[in-house]
Amino acid sequence: MGRGGGAPTAGAFPEGHRFARPSELGKGALAALMNLPALAGLVLILAYPIGYAGYLSLHEVNLRHLRTGEFPFAGWANFGRLLDDPVFWLSLRHTVVFVAASVVLEVLLGLGVALVIEDDRVALSRMTRVLILLPWAVPPVVNGLLWAFIFNGQYGYLNRVLMAVGAIAEPVNWLGAPGLAMAAVITAYVWRTTPFNILLYHAALQGIPGELYEAADVDGASPWQRFFRITLPLLTPIIAVSLILRTTFGFMVFDEILAITQGGPGNATWVAAWYTYKTSFQPPFDIGLGAASAWALALIVGAISFVYVRALYRRVEA
Amino acid sequence: MTIRRAASPRRRLPWSRRLGLWLLNLAAIAFLIGPLVPVVLASLQSEKSLQQDLRALLPREYTLANFRLILSGGATRGPIFEQVSYLPKSVERFPSAFLNSLIVGAAVTLIALAAASLSAYTIARMGVWWTRALLRASVAARMVPLVVLMVPLYVMFRRYGLLNSLGGVVIAEVGFLLPYAVLILTPYLASLPAELEDAARIDGCTRFGAFWRIVLPLAAPGLAACAVILFVISWHELLIPLIVVSRPEFMTLPVVLAGLVSDYFVFFTLMMAICLLGLLPTAALVLLLRTYIVRGLVAGALKG
Repeated sequence: MGRGGGAPTAGAFPEGHRFARPSELGKGALAALMNLPALAGLVLILAYPIGYAGYLSLHEVNLRHLRTGEFPFAGWANFGRLLDDPVFWLSLRHTVVFVAASVVLEVLLGLGVALVIEDDRVALSRMTRVLILLPWAVPPVVNGLLWAFIFNGQYGYLNRVLMAVGAIAEPVNWLGAPGLAMAAVITAYVWRTTPFNILLYHAALQGIPGELYEAADVDGASPWQRFFRITLPLLTPIIAVSLILRTTFGFMVFDEILAITQGGPGNATWVAAWYTYKTSFQPPFDIGLGAASAWALALIVGAISFVYVRALYRRVEA
Repeated sequence: MTIRRAASPRRRLPWSRRLGLWLLNLAAIAFLIGPLVPVVLASLQSEKSLQQDLRALLPREYTLANFRLILSGGATRGPIFEQVSYLPKSVERFPSAFLNSLIVGAAVTLIALAAASLSAYTIARMGVWWTRALLRASVAARMVPLVVLMVPLYVMFRRYGLLNSLGGVVIAEVGFLLPYAVLILTPYLASLPAELEDAARIDGCTRFGAFWRIVLPLAAPGLAACAVILFVISWHELLIPLIVVSRPEFMTLPVVLAGLVSDYFVFFTLMMAICLLGLLPTAALVLLLRTYIVRGLVAGALKG
């Protein structure tokens, strides 16, 4: 959008131009040199570890092996155990529910707020614009802890407020029932992540030329027609971007789970990232299995983003 | 970045529509700040006052005892905590964790910003064919789930002695954040006018000299936006330090906060005070530098 979308401009001076100093490094060499730090980071801290995770997932790795430094080859044994583990499938199901619910809420709430504050004639809409990023600024762990307090069955503020308005007579133990606990975690997560969507949609709305709306007014379009015929089609690209980002990030949810439910009650809120963390870094420290589950998760996320990118961008370009 | 809607003849909105939008806007404000209200209220009272009346919304009496206790690392107990025999470890660890988070955040921001600005310049300006592939790699790298990196990084760091060091945390976070920084900076650098750079070249500046003397100073607002975003994400990061660090003296703030999970039923008021202190730095940054951050976040998302 706007200034962000500018195409990269080639240097104004082709190789061998008379302004280029003879002693100067060639363009390719200089580019390579300047990319060295980022490339080193990308390879050593991202690409290599991803490959190494694949290696670990095919080997037997636990605390004893870490001490000796030798990892016996295990073939597909870790993946076999992973697919046989009902808790893994349970975590995947929970993750899908979590991602689906949170993405839908993030998009709808994000669109809603962005549309409400689109018009700065609405009283206090400038204040809302200032506050949009506040939940984004809250550290995820803090977000988890504060919602754990809000939902607390004994001292929490949700019960206090609901009792004050007379919606409930007795305190409810929100985090004690599986369905409610999942809803609580989703609520907490969505509160922190929706602002990012509001921001994107708000920026996109500001970029829609006013003439389009004026033309629609001249033609006597109703507000609904304006929304479905002008606003929504023009927002589709940005909604596509937000869908991809929010889905991949939703699959990684960890902090709120740790802070609010620790996977409980029972294992009602075990999600994929929590599964990997628990198997790898808590007794029995089954790092081979953890690596296998991490790879499975990466494949799922990769496949979903791929399908998304193909499907959404084809629609956008059509 | 955004084009303000052309100032069309501004008709007054019909009053029903104005009232409806105003109410919806109030709901949006309540959504954005509502959950923070209980945090403030709880942090300003004693645990006894919180537990006394389970239906009360406002504290019976206000006190700053929680904050005094935390900021002094548990030393200033005051009358409320005098009788308490057990205090959460997080209270004692708060000051050093705060400092560690600052150090890690500053280091991660500086290193990632330096490496990413060099890269972004080559992508945005130099027109070398393979730098486009680098941009695509950065987009893909942003989608890599952090959990996937945790297991191998732990094993690698264990081998190279990087566990239990702030350096290990910084290295892991830089690797994770670099692609994002490239995505934020590339469109910004591409949007800068090329004429000044060309003029410098004509005056005999080398290409790198033009980058260093002309482009970087021009890009200051974009660099600032990227820096704030990097710092905020680093300040928030839990999983990396949780896995790299197990010794208290190297713990960052999110790790210490996560430690409250095991004993939070003991002191809710104290927990909310710690939470408030933990979210204050990034909340202040975000509210103060809002326009920069918005620009950076939107640019970083759109390159995707």
